[in-house]
Amino acid sequence: MTQVNINVHYVTRVEGHGNLVLNAKDGKIEKLMWEVPESPRLFEAMLVGRHFDDVHHIASRICGICSIAHTTASIQATEAAFGVKLSEQTILLRKLLYHAEMLESHVLHTIMLAAPDFLGVESVIPLASTHKDVVVLALRMKKLAYKLAEALAERKTHPLSCVVGGFAKLPDPAKLSALKKELLDAYKDMDVVVGLFKTLKIPDFVRDTEYIALQDAKEYAFINGMIASSDAPAVKIDDYLKVTNEFVVPQSTAKYTRNKRDAYQVGALARFNLNSKLLSPKAKKAAKELGLTAPNHNPYMITVAQVVELWHVLEDSVNIIDRLLEKGIKDEPLNVKPKAGRGVGAVEAPRGILFHDYTYDANGIVTKANCIIPTNQNHNNIQKDLEFIVPKILNKSDAEITLLMEMLVRAYDPCISCSTHALQVEIKR
Amino acid sequence: MKPKVAFFDFTSCEGCQLDVLNLTGEELLDLLNAVEIVNFREAISRRDDDYDIAFIEGSVTREAEIPRLQKIRAQAKILVALGACACIGGVNALKNNLKMDEALKMVYGNDAKQFDTIPARPINAVVPVDFYIRGCPVQTGEVVKVIKALLLGRKPEIPNYPVCTECKMAGNICVYELGKTCLGPVTRAGCSAICVSGGRHCWGCRGLVDEPNINSQKDILEKYGLSAERIIDKFKIYNTYTEVQK
Amino acid sequence: MNTNSILVVDDEAIVRESIRDWLKESGYDVATAESAEEALQMTAHKEFGVLVLDVRLPGKSGLTALKEIKAQYPAVKSIIVTAYPSEETTAEANRLGALECMIKPVAPEELEKLVREAIESLEKEPAVKPPAVKAPAFKKSAVISKRSFKTLVENLLKTTEVVGVKSKKGKYVFDHVTSFDDLRMDYDVTVNPPTQYLFPARETILKYDLTDFKKSAPVVDKSPRAIIGVHPYDIRAIELLDEAFITLNPDPNYIARRQNSLIIGVDCLHPSPKAFSPSMGTNVAETGFDLLLTDIGDTYMITVGSQKGADLLKKNVQVIEPTTDDIARQKMARDEALTRYRLSLNVARERLPKMLDDAYDDPYWQQRASTCLSCGSCVMVCPTCFCFDVQDDVALNLKDGERNRLWDGCMLVDFAKVAGGENFRHDKTSRFHHRIYRKGKYILERYGKTGCVGCGRCGIACLAEIASPLEAFNDIAEIAMNKQLEKTAESVRPEEELYAPLQAELVRVENLAAKEKVFEIKLAGGRELGQKPGQFVELSLYGMGEAPFGVATSPTRRGTFEIAIRNVGSLTNVSHTLKAGDTVGIRGPFGNGFPLKQFEGKDLLLIAGGTGIFPMRSLIQYVQDNRHLYGKVIVLYGARGPAERLFTKDLEAWQNDKSIEFHETVDRGDANWKGNVGVITTLIPKVQIDPKKTVAVVVGPPIMYRFVIVELKKRDIADENIIMSLERRMKCGVGKCGHCQMNGLYVCQDGPVFSLAQLRTVKEAI
Repeated sequence: MTQVNINVHYVTRVEGHGNLVLNAKDGKIEKLMWEVPESPRLFEAMLVGRHFDDVHHIASRICGICSIAHTTASIQATEAAFGVKLSEQTILLRKLLYHAEMLESHVLHTIMLAAPDFLGVESVIPLASTHKDVVVLALRMKKLAYKLAEALAERKTHPLSCVVGGFAKLPDPAKLSALKKELLDAYKDMDVVVGLFKTLKIPDFVRDTEYIALQDAKEYAFINGMIASSDAPAVKIDDYLKVTNEFVVPQSTAKYTRNKRDAYQVGALARFNLNSKLLSPKAKKAAKELGLTAPNHNPYMITVAQVVELWHVLEDSVNIIDRLLEKGIKDEPLNVKPKAGRGVGAVEAPRGILFHDYTYDANGIVTKANCIIPTNQNHNNIQKDLEFIVPKILNKSDAEITLLMEMLVRAYDPCISCSTHALQVEIKR
Repeated sequence: MKPKVAFFDFTSCEGCQLDVLNLTGEELLDLLNAVEIVNFREAISRRDDDYDIAFIEGSVTREAEIPRLQKIRAQAKILVALGACACIGGVNALKNNLKMDEALKMVYGNDAKQFDTIPARPINAVVPVDFYIRGCPVQTGEVVKVIKALLLGRKPEIPNYPVCTECKMAGNICVYELGKTCLGPVTRAGCSAICVSGGRHCWGCRGLVDEPNINSQKDILEKYGLSAERIIDKFKIYNTYTEVQK
Repeated sequence: MNTNSILVVDDEAIVRESIRDWLKESGYDVATAESAEEALQMTAHKEFGVLVLDVRLPGKSGLTALKEIKAQYPAVKSIIVTAYPSEETTAEANRLGALECMIKPVAPEELEKLVREAIESLEKEPAVKPPAVKAPAFKKSAVISKRSFKTLVENLLKTTEVVGVKSKKGKYVFDHVTSFDDLRMDYDVTVNPPTQYLFPARETILKYDLTDFKKSAPVVDKSPRAIIGVHPYDIRAIELLDEAFITLNPDPNYIARRQNSLIIGVDCLHPSPKAFSPSMGTNVAETGFDLLLTDIGDTYMITVGSQKGADLLKKNVQVIEPTTDDIARQKMARDEALTRYRLSLNVARERLPKMLDDAYDDPYWQQRASTCLSCGSCVMVCPTCFCFDVQDDVALNLKDGERNRLWDGCMLVDFAKVAGGENFRHDKTSRFHHRIYRKGKYILERYGKTGCVGCGRCGIACLAEIASPLEAFNDIAEIAMNKQLEKTAESVRPEEELYAPLQAELVRVENLAAKEKVFEIKLAGGRELGQKPGQFVELSLYGMGEAPFGVATSPTRRGTFEIAIRNVGSLTNVSHTLKAGDTVGIRGPFGNGFPLKQFEGKDLLLIAGGTGIFPMRSLIQYVQDNRHLYGKVIVLYGARGPAERLFTKDLEAWQNDKSIEFHETVDRGDANWKGNVGVITTLIPKVQIDPKKTVAVVVGPPIMYRFVIVELKKRDIADENIIMSLERRMKCGVGKCGHCQMNGLYVCQDGPVFSLAQLRTVKEAI
């Protein structure tokens, strides 16, 4: 009688706390669970009663890694509720700021959190000796991302200058010019990264999955577009609830979602599968080199899709800076008048589509709030992926099974503490 | 013998830990030369329970977190609270303003009992803390400064004067003159007044100075026509726990 | 040289011409000039014997002109005339050897007399050959077009770092300038001072290697810059920094920046509503800059302050010779600017140091500072603040380190804290107090330059609106004035009644001892005397006269008061014949009384010898009636002998009062005496006291003080905690008749209660 009992308490190298539990006897699985025991943080409840000037400031604190995503989604939800029109300059600056976070998050995840597994080490620290160049360039790219964010919003984690309607402080063109040069310098770093990933052996598991992401007609969408699904026609952002369909499960303080099937996936692979035609030239080239073609149903390839997106982010950032410098950066007075109403903001956080939904009263105070986090939407899919993969690897050693299960979770680049922010809360006052 | 350092996170957004990693290659190598990181769940898989210095991010919001924290305190020679949530309760404590049972019941219905949640509190409400690195998020520079101080065996120099001092040193225009409100006059400096430099105002994320002149602050708000409710509202974003303590 | 020749320099035609006429009538050879520049042009060609110079002139001042003329003609005599006298002007005039500094309007005979004296002394002196002095290398005034100024700035932008005033969110700041169009020359005041470029907020002063001490080295920044648009008050602030950083212990970092900074100033023609530089004498600057611009319409009138400035002009622009019209327009612009200031000092600024001295302990400071946030804004925006902290910083490699200095401020909470935890200015009142005193007094006394230049920045920056030294100075001036008024109003009755006693009735007369009686007195009309323990009254017996007596009861015992009289002289003889029901006159109470506030919370050691018990009794009663205010109370009493003991009923009561520790002694005992024998000093070693918490009060015969003080000092009690009541011949009680003088003090006004600390410099006291 063979028994497999694996209990990973708090998976490492992911953001937030999650547990993996596997009990199998004689090749039969008795319990296989991805548990999310994270503390409920009750953000939507905390947003109720807040003035719109503070809302995005608080919402940013849902997550430290994707704070720019939360800030942007929050601001866009408020702008949708008030009917605020944005200037081209603001939109460009926001996209650029967004790229900064995407750059940092993807570099962190692909090289520092996920790659160690493929290279057989337990963290990036040993790599500082064996793959010093890669570690140094990863840190350099992270620093570049920070510098870019700082030039636009004074700080990357919990950005400061982006406010409802625009920016409270405009960047110095000289700084942007210098950063463009650094972005171009990073091209050769990207070559090294792609080179590295070409050598890594990605576990091969294919499970047909529904993919959901933002989609825009003209560009690879991160902060605009409609909700696209691989299984269904695109839906307006305002109708997101029709797509997410949240429900509670006992092993998780985060709710799960489903759409056309019993689970769906969001994130870099979803974006790639739906929008790969709109990637930048070098991104497309890298995808080919890395053997990634749409549609790809291997969850372990999410990390590879992120590498491809890194190329797009670099090239698009350079384009945006060119456009900004060409137009010249002008002072634009902020004039936002609150209005009663409801608005939804949707963005693609590094790990998937994110929704913020606010209802305001006439004084600009939130009366109701709802946030749906990408990792929420992935929890169910992770569970289904595990249920698919584990039976196929039960014959391996405990250590190998554990590693593959952890790698699966890591591949999703989950942001678990975001996902347990809690749900629709109606506080009757 | 290099000191062994561990990073732990409780209820938090993990942004502070992330910013700790915002080092250049050279700095990271210098750091690894100076200390041994034996536990840092977000970044490494190794998990040693033998450490000298523990950095704690996040506040305590669940019963189960208390024994976990006490165990860390028992092990660590030095305990450093990292970030506003750990130092003063931070944004997590905003939920303390809500009636907990009602909120939970509304959210989770009958499943409410499974969720262990208590009013959020800073680390020093549960165990003694040796040093504080404040702010939301912390500034990498200040983290490095504290680590350097610990390595040199000295107390880090953290200001006890309000943000206004650094705001003026940075050449900022006072936001009160621009018709906005700001918690700078009672908030502890050390952040170089970054939020004002970024076009906004101070929200007080670093907590109060040792002897804030709250009465004077209230008078000033009235003088500038800013309502006290708006300020208390803003103050509560990071300082709910402090307010409750008063 | 024709010693008879006089040069009169004044820009006001009427003054100039009238002086000329007076002197011409007296037979002198008189020439005139209407500006310093003109005077210099004239003296370049001709030697004068006497100069009569106005101080305030358009362009250079009369004092500067004198300085330069003396360089060429050291023997020339001078008389300074000014409408705006100040300590600084007088001091400067004296330094330059002027015979006199006269205040306008000038009395013609006086002036003539001085001129005569000057010429006489000249004729007596041996002829002095003027030294071969070079004429100044550069011309002091110039005019340039505004377009030329633009060229000048643009050329500077190509060759050096340029900082100047820019607009930011509707205010003005000094900042790095990249284009002439950003530059503002017409601003009112900047948020941050230009002194930050000479003394930056953060500066590395040393670099070192933790592993090798020899590798440490000072760090000095020699990079050049041009600072454009510095207002005169800021130039004056820079001159203060020069004094502080260069004269004593020259500071290499400051000096490097100073030497490599080009300072282009501009007159402030549109002052900020909070500015008050004319009151501080800092709205004009005559030195301390390379160039100073005055906007006179479509051109700038330039005052050249240095060779560097002259070279800069020569290299970059076409300079126009100024006409008298330009000079007049400059004067007009400056005069008009003067009318735009809304705030001013209500007291002559020379009086500030003394006024602040007098107000040192005024309760005003606590009330004013109560809303202070200790936020540091005032010190950070101040151009004359230059306190700093020094901090070490080491790189993560634990090898490379630097020592940095950063701005600090006396208004910040921990500024005066030491390692042990003691904070010498732990409360905001003391910090606020220090800053105002530094600005109004300490800096002037230490460096000879004004500590506050009246820029108004702190008044703008302070959210609690308490920072402006001007407001504090004016408040103190008002308090001082009110005190003066109060003092005269203090007398209960109108002025004519100063020497007229109040009617009073003797309610009770009782024997205390062989020569002493106690008199209980009630003022007519049921009035309360309102005395403070330690004060005295003048007992008036019409036909006999008046004598002073200490009041022996506390004001807390209302209705009547007691005095005790020893029968030693004619009036006291007569007083001893009085009985209950008799009428007497009372004037007073006089004197300062015991410093009750100082006693609060302290342990008291009250030492009374002989009749010293009379005033001490008022204090003991007061302490008993307010017992909770004081700590331990010890009373020591000494009498010559048992028969000479006074107020025996009280002595017994004090012995039995559990809240007081009471000891008494007699110099010589008798058969029945069972108590201590010995002089009063023998009681002192017997008592337990904590010198840090104890205030000792001593009243007794003159000889007693010397010996008691020795004993008290042995117990480590500080001078300011040893309080004595002294006796002198008090007659009028109101500080006029002069009999009670003790060195420079009047005992009836400044005493009779003094602390030993006060008396250390009063040689006649003990």
